This record gives sequence, structure tokens and C-alpha cells, in this order.
Amino acid sequence: MLSHKPPFRIYRKPELLSSSLVVGWSEDAGKLGSKVIDYLCKKLKCTEFAEIEPADFFPLAGVSVEDDVAQFPESKFYYCQQKNLVILKSSSPRYEWYRFLDSVLDVAEHYCHTTELYTIGGMVSPSAHTAPRDLFAIANSMEMKDVLSQYDLARDFDYETPTGQRPTISSYLLWLAKKRNMAASSLWVPVPFYLVSTEDPRACRKTVEFLDRRFGLGIDLAELDDEVAVQNQKIAQVRVNFPDIDNYIQRLESSLGLAHEENETLLKEIEGFLRKKD
Amino acid sequence: MGVRLYREPQLESPILIASWPGIGNIGIIAVDTLREMVRAEEIGEIEPWDFFYPKRVSIRHGELKSLEFPGSKFYLGKAGGKDLVFFIGEEQPAEVGKAYAEGTKAYRMANLVLDVAIKLGCRRIYTSGAAVAPIHHTVRPKVWAVPNSEELIDEVNSYENVVLMSEIDGGGGQGNITGLNGLLLGVARKRGIDAICMMGEIPIYFQDFPLPYPKASKSVLEVLSVSLGIELEMQGITAIVERSEGEIERLYESFPSEIREELDKLKYVTHTRAIDQEPITEEDKNRILEDIDKFFKRESKED
Repeated sequence: MLSHKPPFRIYRKPELLSSSLVVGWSEDAGKLGSKVIDYLCKKLKCTEFAEIEPADFFPLAGVSVEDDVAQFPESKFYYCQQKNLVILKSSSPRYEWYRFLDSVLDVAEHYCHTTELYTIGGMVSPSAHTAPRDLFAIANSMEMKDVLSQYDLARDFDYETPTGQRPTISSYLLWLAKKRNMAASSLWVPVPFYLVSTEDPRACRKTVEFLDRRFGLGIDLAELDDEVAVQNQKIAQVRVNFPDIDNYIQRLESSLGLAHEENETLLKEIEGFLRKKD
Repeated sequence: MGVRLYREPQLESPILIASWPGIGNIGIIAVDTLREMVRAEEIGEIEPWDFFYPKRVSIRHGELKSLEFPGSKFYLGKAGGKDLVFFIGEEQPAEVGKAYAEGTKAYRMANLVLDVAIKLGCRRIYTSGAAVAPIHHTVRPKVWAVPNSEELIDEVNSYENVVLMSEIDGGGGQGNITGLNGLLLGVARKRGIDAICMMGEIPIYFQDFPLPYPKASKSVLEVLSVSLGIELEMQGITAIVERSEGEIERLYESFPSEIREELDKLKYVTHTRAIDQEPITEEDKNRILEDIDKFFKRESKED
């Protein structure tokens, strides 16, 4: 039978009132979730204070290796006292989703007095990397919708899970937060399909910019601007060296679709180039 | 957290009929059709949170309106003066990447279903699923029946078109019933309740296709009708079977002609000891089954 012991460990108890929680998932298009969280933690000098133990939620049948490094599922909480902000960087659980997400909300509610929650997510887009990034927001209540209406967000759309697919873990968390009367929103930025498995600093900048405004964080975005510029330069170099790739990106910039093989070629070339060590 | 019963009716020796999806959805179609026939009404559910990942989200004008989970619901109906309790699971609480429930979650769900059965005073349980068999799709499917106690064997043996596992060639009375349609039988035995699993035959060559096979569900319903001692109007399920036959025939026609020639020989294969004379030899039968096996292994590799 399942253990009744809470699956989280609290190292220290933050003294927060009406805090906000920002959740980023490690497995995300353009590494958006982990990149945004890492940037916030670094700039706000956040302190780690809790974690959810992985044993009940992940297979742990070995380790995966990514970019030559062994990985291990992590679900760690950080906080910034000064900004009244809590941050969770977590792998997406493979089992016991309800218990996992309920534990996230238990930590937020009981140890941080969280009243507002945001999740971060990238969504695969057939657009070019040069296109401006929109920020889509889904609210879990009318009150949250009113809060979001003060910002420049795409937030008036309809969606139903397509047949054969499942809702995202962020939607699940929003729904559980709603059951606890906790205001919550999931934030989504389109990530060009050829940046999905590398990084999308422009999508990251868009998200951090919103969070900065929402919580008055006073974060310097210069490092992200530099990353955007470097990535643009690298892709520009590919475009100069490979006219076909340039042609494909130009067509995406003109909102024209590509054939399946063209998509594959573009993805392979850009990924390969961006993964090369400088 | 667990079971929510909206009401607790006083029943007279009710019978529980339960099913979860499986190959060809044979059991779930049979049980759901019976539920509709007797106009059973929902009386409760097993709360989904501990068992399932949500199946659908609905967002309207940027606001999350609902999150739907697979249902695990109890229904109550009456037929021929008998109280019938139904349990229908929309999904098996399987781990990621697996089709069938196993382990702790499966055991917990089986026990929750039995908790309700015991609370309502059920004296017997039926489950239903599929039996993958070397039959041709033009043949009337038999129903393989597995009781959870020896005392039920004579009764099960008396039903027309039913075979016990000991009558299946090469089985020696052994076998497995995968997932909750089987597990419920075992947990019922542990808790001292009689239970029988009725498995409608599906041709071996259709087992990996995501295709409902209501013809076998009809066979199950026919046996259930006798076992429950109730008369059922079969027009509804017959119409479903007729509607499905076009699709099944189209799928069959999509197989290469040389394979169809081999498969057509299954019309003359018997896999039970109930028939005295076999129209083809045992050697021929084994060769046909080996050829079919090779073909579908090759096909799946080619996919």
C-alpha cells in the first residue's frame, strides 16, 4: 500500500506571506522551463529549501544520459524572501501524478502560504526563430483572468485535448490548484520546432520579462539578450553556408509551410550546428 | 478518497457484472450493452485521482473549465426480477506504456470494486474479456469461461457454446487472464465470493488491431443471458455486429492474398476437444498457425 508519509523533505522553513509559486518542468520544448527557473534562481540568488523524493514518482531503473552527462529526476523548491517568490524546478513525474502535484501544493500552501501559481511551458511551433514570441496564458478562474488582463498576453482562446493526446501536467496542476481555491495560470510560449531539443533564449526572455513585470523583480535581462544575439548569429552563419536552410527559414518567415523532408533537414542542420562545442 | 456511492439501495442477492477495456473491447461492449438493455442507472464511482492521468482538458476563452478523468462507475438495474449491479472501467489503471493493470494499483482497484459488491450484498460476480483463438472471423466465437471455484465448473459446463480451459487444445486447463478482468476473479476468490470470467473468442490475426470485435461480445451476452436466467432482446447487439462486419471484412481484404488463403483454412480448424472429427489434420493446423505467426511478426517488424 502507499506510504502515508509526505513524500517531501523541508530543509528550512521560509517566512513568506501570500507568496507566488513559479513552476518549471525540466523536460520542456526549448528547455524553457529549466532555463527560466535557472535564470530566476541565479538573478534572485534563491535559496533551496525543500525537495520531493523521487522514489514514488519516477522509474529509477537506471539513469538517462543527456549531453554526455548522467541525469537524475529532481524536484527542488527554492525561495527568494525579498521578492516573496517560491520556485519549483522539477522533472515531470512518471507515476502517481495526483500525489506528486498534491505534494507540490502542500509545500506551497503549508510552508510558503502561496496564493498564486504560474507554470511555464514551451509549445512546438512551425514558426521561424526570428518571429516575435507571443506569451499565451490559461487561467484557472475568472479572478486570475482579470489579473492577467493587465498584461500583454494572448489569453482568449479555446482548446480541447485532441483525440489520442492527454492534458499537460501543467493543466493538471492548474486544476488541482483550482480545487484549493488557489489562483493559477499556465504560461506558454511557442518554440520554433528546430529549437525544441536545444534552447530558445528568446522564448525564455519573453517569459522572464512577464514574471519580472508581474512580481516587480527588477531582473536584468541583458544576459538573455546576449544569448539571443549569439544564437541568431550562429543560425545566420548556417543560412550563409547552406542556401537550402536559408530558403527554408525564409519561407517560415513568410508564414509558408515546409514539406516533411524540409522540416527534417532544417531541424537536423540547425540542431547539429547549435550542439557543436565552440 | 476511494469509492463514492450516491445511494445505498436495499437489494435482493444482487449480481455484479464488471468489465474493463481489453483486446477487441469484447468484455466492455458486452457488459455495457447489457447495462443499456436493463437501463441501469449510475449509483456511484471510484474516485479517479489515485489511478489515472486525466484524459481531457477543456479551455474556454483562456480559462480552464474542466479536466476529465477516465470513469470507473457503478450502475444499478433490474432484469427478470433480479438486481444487477454493473461496474464499468473506462481504462485499466495501468502504468505508463502498459495496456493492462498490474501490481498495487490493480489490486487496490479490484478491492474497491469488491468492497462495493460486498456492501450491496452481491452473491456472484461476472467479468468479461477476450480469448485470442485460432478461429476465422466468419465463425461464431465461442466463450471461454473461467470460474474461481471448482463448485462452479459443472454449471459453467452446462452452458451452450462455452468451453473450459481444459477443453482448449494444448492448454491442459492452464492459462492467464491478463489485467483486471482476470484479477477481480482472484481477489473475489480471496474474499470468498463466486466469480466467473466470460471471454469471447477473437481471431488470432485481429488481436493487435485496435478494432472492436462485437461478434464475440454477442456470444458473451448469449451466455450471460442463460447464466443470469434472464431473457435479452438481442436485436441491438446484432445490429452492432452487422455494422462492424464491413470494417472487419475490409481489414481482412487488406491482408495479402496468400495470407488470406492460409487464414481461410482456419474456417476448418478446431481448437477445442468438443468436436469429434477434425476437418484438417493436426499437422496442417500447426503449420497454418506457424505461417500466421511468421506473417504478423514480419508485418510488425516492417511497421
